[in-house]
Amino acid sequence: MDVFLQTFVAGVLKGGLYALIGIGMTLIMGVMGIINLAHGQLMMVAMYITYVLHLAGVDPYLSLFVAMPALFLLGAVIQRFLLNPLLKADTILPENQVLMTVGIGMVLTEVVRFIFKSDYKSVTTGYSNATFFLGNISFSMALVISFLIAIGFTVAMFFFLIRTDIGRSIRATAQDKDAAVLMGVNTGRITIITFGIGSGLVAAAGSLLAPVFYVFPDIGGPFTARAFIITILGGLGSTVGAIFGGVTLGLAESFGATYISMEFENIIGMTIFVLVLLFLPGGFKRLTKI
Amino acid sequence: MSVMKRALLVCLAIALAMSLGGAAAMADTIKVGIVLPLTGEQAKFGEIEKRSFLMAAEEINAKGGVKGNKLELLFEDDTGKPDVGRSATEKLISQEKVPIITGGYSSSVTAAATAVAQQFKVPFLVTTGSADKITESGYDYVFRINPPASEYPAAVVTFLQEVVKPKTAVILFENSLFGQSSSKEFEEDCGKLGIKVLLKEGYNKGAIDFKPMLTKVKATNPDLVYMVSYVMDAALLMRQAKELDFNPRLFVGGGAGFTLPEFHKNAGDAAEFVYSATLWVETVVYPGAMDYFKKYQAKYKEDTEYHGAEAYASLYVVADALKRAKSITPKDVRDALAATDMMTAFGPVKFVSYEKKTQQNKLPTFMVQWQKGELETVWPKDAAKMKYVFPVPKWKERK
Repeated sequence: MDVFLQTFVAGVLKGGLYALIGIGMTLIMGVMGIINLAHGQLMMVAMYITYVLHLAGVDPYLSLFVAMPALFLLGAVIQRFLLNPLLKADTILPENQVLMTVGIGMVLTEVVRFIFKSDYKSVTTGYSNATFFLGNISFSMALVISFLIAIGFTVAMFFFLIRTDIGRSIRATAQDKDAAVLMGVNTGRITIITFGIGSGLVAAAGSLLAPVFYVFPDIGGPFTARAFIITILGGLGSTVGAIFGGVTLGLAESFGATYISMEFENIIGMTIFVLVLLFLPGGFKRLTKI
Repeated sequence: MSVMKRALLVCLAIALAMSLGGAAAMADTIKVGIVLPLTGEQAKFGEIEKRSFLMAAEEINAKGGVKGNKLELLFEDDTGKPDVGRSATEKLISQEKVPIITGGYSSSVTAAATAVAQQFKVPFLVTTGSADKITESGYDYVFRINPPASEYPAAVVTFLQEVVKPKTAVILFENSLFGQSSSKEFEEDCGKLGIKVLLKEGYNKGAIDFKPMLTKVKATNPDLVYMVSYVMDAALLMRQAKELDFNPRLFVGGGAGFTLPEFHKNAGDAAEFVYSATLWVETVVYPGAMDYFKKYQAKYKEDTEYHGAEAYASLYVVADALKRAKSITPKDVRDALAATDMMTAFGPVKFVSYEKKTQQNKLPTFMVQWQKGELETVWPKDAAKMKYVFPVPKWKERK
């Protein structure tokens, strides 16, 4: 029973972090209709910001407040100067924005490698290894905190999208871009803000992940892949869906590791991905209507 | 005035002589091809090895090179991918016409690259790539200075036999050629020692959360946990084992990641008392080992480790073979390499054939333990600098 519970706890806590990584991508995908394949790389940049601030003695949870605005700006600049101009360019491929994000991801990785070299860096803090026990079940302090913050951001995003003007404009753009333009929404600006918010959210995930993981130029790729899976699981543009998607993926990986084998961690994620595409196209969003 | 003129003339003459001399040396260089991961995830080790090769080349060339010819190193980046390693080797052979190739970091890349060298009949001295099968393919143009992965735990095995005497073990390994090779061999060692392997499980490099797997391992309650892991996976495994309050009698790393400074930096106090197999530490008895370590530190302001020592020694072996070769052709260099018998900073080098292996260097291995943040050689007894700490205190009993 302990094994089962411990696996469950590990899966849910990891899922919270996954959700935070996924929300940013689902938002961008919902509004722009493109897959941001530089998503994990943006998180990697945020982790390096956290690392540099850590060297200067700033706590990773405080550097959240630096990394998020910095990545918001970076995301906005990317959308404004690299992605939006592509809308106007004639090309044979309709997905050239997606291709552009692949390129951006590579550039980010190599620039970071140029500055920091291919060295493993650690952001170790007093609470990196801190745990508390409920019965025989160990809870990682850092992951519990990041889980709570992830839930907090999701709830905040939910109300932001439902209640505020910008939020409504974002949803309008996501639902029907042409109609939104006719209603007077400046969709160009909305896409910039959305990409900024998406990048800011993944920056939060990066700052929270740094103390429990390590920092390296190449770690972006696997997280881009996971964010993509979560987005498909949860449904495009659904913040609540991202939480479900993230936790589902976290649980699936954990139970797979305990009861099948950790070798199949990636296969399990991909299997769920395929099953959802086959039997629940549109993701969990279809079930909740949110 | 005339003195000035004369001085100027002398200067000119010297400059001319030097440039002529330089030109003559340029004409007589021997190209040595080196395949290493210089970009990509393994670039850190590629860099350590490249620097060590360059350091060795400088020293050899400063002492007159090989029969008066300078060594010219041609580095090719394999990016850590077997297909790139293949084409890099092909390029060195067909375009650069090198008489010998060395390097080779990851096992998968090395396996691909050595196959090409064998096909073209150009000798390849493997520096690191340690999967057993590389020297088990019957290639007569492939030599290896590094012991095969299966022999890494030799010192660990005697330590278990004489000190720990565990009854049960769990083996965790990175699901790569190196990890599979090492773990399989250790499982056989366990069989010989009468240790029951309760669980043997692989994982993919770069995982975030090892807790589900460790939870399962903890439930089997083993005496020994043996891990073949890369540096950061190794650190996370130890940190999360501590978080789960998982207390086997000892944790042993099978080389690779557990001896690097980055491991200790990331794992922090969770690294304390962890044992690891290793091939080389700067305090070994081989002549030139400490020397190499200090020179590297002085030159690059960073620590080096066994990969660098392998690279450094490899070039000395290459230079030695080139010196003895009847001519600088792949065939003659291969024959000279086969007759190698010398001492290097990495240890004695002599290529022998045994069991299924051919042209393989045999070396003793060591066991180290992290004690108060320092990596200490604790086994075998005659090489030990510090007494091993065993039994290891439980996580909760530590301060």
